Amino acid sequence: MAALRSSSAARLFGSAASRPAFRLAVAAPVRGFAQLADAAQESQTASGDQKARIKTFQVYRWNPDTPTEKPTMQSYSLDLNKTGPMVLDALIRIKNELDPTLTFRRSCREGICGSCAMNINGTNTLACLCRIPTEVNAEMKIYPLPHTYVVKDLVPDLTQFYKQYKSIKPYLQRDTPSPDGKEYRQSKADRRKLDGLYECILCACCSTSCPSYWWNSEEYLGPAMLLQSYRWLADSRDERTAERKDALNNSMSLYRCHTILNCTRTCPKGLNPGLAIAQIKKEMAF
Amino acid sequence: MIAQRVGTTALRRVAAKPNAFFTADVARMGFLAGSLHKATQTRLVATQKLTPADAHDILNKQRLQRPVSPHLDVYDKQQTWFSGSVWHRFTGMGFSGGLYVFATAYLAAPLLGWHLESASIAAAVGALPLAVKGGLKFIVAWPFVYHCVNGVRHLCFDMAVGFKRKTIVQMSWYIWGASLVSGLYLAFFL
Amino acid sequence: MASIARSALLRQAASVPKLPAATHAIARSSALRQSIANTVRASAFHTTSRRNLLPPLPQHVDGTVNDAAPIPETSPAHGSYHWTFDRLVSAGLVPLTLAPFAAGSLNPTMDAVLCGLILIHSHTGFQNIIIDYLPTRRVPRTRKAVMWGLNVATVIVGLALYEFETTDVGVTEAIKRVWTA
Repeated sequence: MAALRSSSAARLFGSAASRPAFRLAVAAPVRGFAQLADAAQESQTASGDQKARIKTFQVYRWNPDTPTEKPTMQSYSLDLNKTGPMVLDALIRIKNELDPTLTFRRSCREGICGSCAMNINGTNTLACLCRIPTEVNAEMKIYPLPHTYVVKDLVPDLTQFYKQYKSIKPYLQRDTPSPDGKEYRQSKADRRKLDGLYECILCACCSTSCPSYWWNSEEYLGPAMLLQSYRWLADSRDERTAERKDALNNSMSLYRCHTILNCTRTCPKGLNPGLAIAQIKKEMAF
Repeated sequence: MIAQRVGTTALRRVAAKPNAFFTADVARMGFLAGSLHKATQTRLVATQKLTPADAHDILNKQRLQRPVSPHLDVYDKQQTWFSGSVWHRFTGMGFSGGLYVFATAYLAAPLLGWHLESASIAAAVGALPLAVKGGLKFIVAWPFVYHCVNGVRHLCFDMAVGFKRKTIVQMSWYIWGASLVSGLYLAFFL
Repeated sequence: MASIARSALLRQAASVPKLPAATHAIARSSALRQSIANTVRASAFHTTSRRNLLPPLPQHVDGTVNDAAPIPETSPAHGSYHWTFDRLVSAGLVPLTLAPFAAGSLNPTMDAVLCGLILIHSHTGFQNIIIDYLPTRRVPRTRKAVMWGLNVATVIVGLALYEFETTDVGVTEAIKRVWTA
């Protein structure tokens, strides 16, 4: 309790920073129930400056150390006044202050590494780019990326995803040396074709939103890989366009795409994998 | 940092051997005094070396136990259950399935003594009360219009048209509206 | 310091008895007790259900992360040609579907063309569904059986449509008659 009060005192000074030393001494025994932290504190300091905005987060939990136990949904309550605006802020706060066993990937917290991709309120997105809705009544539901094998809690195994990335040969393939022996040049128009393709950070949001990929992820490449494929097909400097197309020309790799377009609707970077796939199909049609 | 590590390893080595100058007691004293606090790291977990193949086996065993994360149950219902794509498939399946069943029955009708000629079906339908007739016609007309309109939309998609995020969402609702309205029209006014 | 503190914290937390003791320690106000009931609930989650379309198998990964996923053999007949053919059939169906609304019904030739296109469209549609939900890798025999079943069914339906076109009034005319009955 002392620890809880002390951190509320800290808040008055405009800082929600945790104090490891205090927490170690007192908060540790009640760690399992530290979800209460914000709620309890608020009942005591309700007459304070701001009214508490307690929001409940339901998070998917599964522990590989007890594999026979079924996955569960665990609730955590946080006061939004003391939490950053993004879902990742909330998750980090839960891990720091409420439950250190909660596991998730995160790195850059600015939407460029793609680590914190997860299913938030039904849609795949990056936790660091997803704002917490301000209405406190609705619970937030956080799951790992759909139809993936779960390593722990919110961490999916993306091995197959990366193996597929390797299979599309994501690098420039070229035999002819450049005319002047310097870099391979490209016109501005050709370069512009790569806009909206090269920005992909391979967070796997789109692939794991695609029902076709859910059912056939072993053979169907999925929107992310197809967007990457198109990135190299569209590159004027690449000389293996025909081989690349041949690699896609079978019933599974590309043509399991049925233009469901969950990929385009979910992409946290605002790219358009659906359009890229349509362009591959169009180029390969005749 | 590296220098510190070297120091740690050296200390550990010394501590492991029975040594007149640096016994375990000395280490503990050092720990209590706090001077060697950082240098002597106590490892509580026993570790062992693994060959890459063994490690891979362990990983594969873990993989067998992993659950699959929820998908259809948790994904945004508007995108999974109300999307154009899944209903395109459902309606198409319904019509083609109906065609296959009817056609097979039509071929078998003379053998089984059924009457599935157009005249007798028309007579049977004509004998139904108006509401039932209209209802049945709507059940056929709505999926027909839906499949047609959405089919045209898919043909547009195949020409790489209409991929803006906003357009996708808007169009899928327009198609629901248009198909319901024209389904009603076809059922009751044609 | 930090790492030592952390691990100690973890160990302590693991050894702490679960709900009762801790609630006793902290649950003083009734509001607090209420929020315990709310927050500590963890509901069971079913990952597999009988409704599952394609119940996923236990995870299996061939090779290591550094091995690329295998690239299937090139076969345009199942890939690009198939897709293009599909689209041409679909595109052809559009005017043929609209024409009867304008003209009342089709002449026998156009009606036969419409029947043929619908038959092909249905066949490839069913093929797509089978490929999606019965992958060769998982259910090779069922896949083969269902595919052949579909081929047989399509031939039967083709015969039936021929029969209907030749002995009856034709598909568009029949639908018109039933619809306006």
